Amino acid sequence: MVCGTAGNKQQQREINMSKESQMRAAINQKLIEMGERERLKELLRAKLIECGWRDQLKALCKEVIKEKGIENVTVEDLVAGVTPKGRALVPDSVKKELLQRIRAFLAQHST
Amino acid sequence: MKMEDVSLSSMDNSKMEGFAQEILSDLVEDACLGLCFEVHRAVKQGYFFMDDTDQESMKDFEIVDQPGVDIFGQVYNQWKNKECVCPNCSRSIAASRFAPHLEKCLGMGRNSSRIANRRIASGNNTNKSESDQEDNDDVNDNDWSYGAEKKAKKRKSDKNPNSPRRSKSMKHKND
Repeated sequence: MVCGTAGNKQQQREINMSKESQMRAAINQKLIEMGERERLKELLRAKLIECGWRDQLKALCKEVIKEKGIENVTVEDLVAGVTPKGRALVPDSVKKELLQRIRAFLAQHST
Repeated sequence: MKMEDVSLSSMDNSKMEGFAQEILSDLVEDACLGLCFEVHRAVKQGYFFMDDTDQESMKDFEIVDQPGVDIFGQVYNQWKNKECVCPNCSRSIAASRFAPHLEKCLGMGRNSSRIANRRIASGNNTNKSESDQEDNDDVNDNDWSYGAEKKAKKRKSDKNPNSPRRSKSMKHKND
């Protein structure tokens, strides 16, 4: 059964991966059903407003609008122009706090 | 090899961390998208640029930060020392004492109706105009409870009816 070992290993890896994605799906579902995702969203929103991130992004939006013109600007223009910088501008402290909460949830609910 | 049940142990820490980062990333993206949608709507509905005006107007309404003056630039204690003339007794009263004075002078308001009631309860003869005003008070005064007043009347008749001193407990009863 020597030639079968490599195949088995590959299969095993695939099974592990799908178990993993199953597990991720299950946790995501729990996150939503228990209302935790909504709470996390609210928390993030509040923190981002507090630290001025929202205002920064609004300013970026203004630039996009001035460039494209009020009549022609689309949601895609704004999203494309602003999202990458938006991700980069989130302060580390905010990220840390959110991650802490997420990890706590995962630790609590992943069995 | 036995198939293990799906559990935390099947995902090691680095994978959990990656998963957490992914969730965070989704949340941040949601926030960005939300903002873009809000801004887009504001632009198309025409209210995005509403709080931008020309530089000159902006200067006119800047927050004032000087001593003795509030943030609009108005002097805020200029009414402290003014004096008003009472329309009833034509006396000149300090502004901060004006309202309580009017209350007693015109015979309206909670305290003066209480005083009037006490005088009645103690058996003094009152003239008609005073009892009329008192009736009006009963109707108009929303925060005055009739039950409490009855109790107060009863208590007062126990004490010396001729005492001019107001009892403290009554003063604070309906506050």
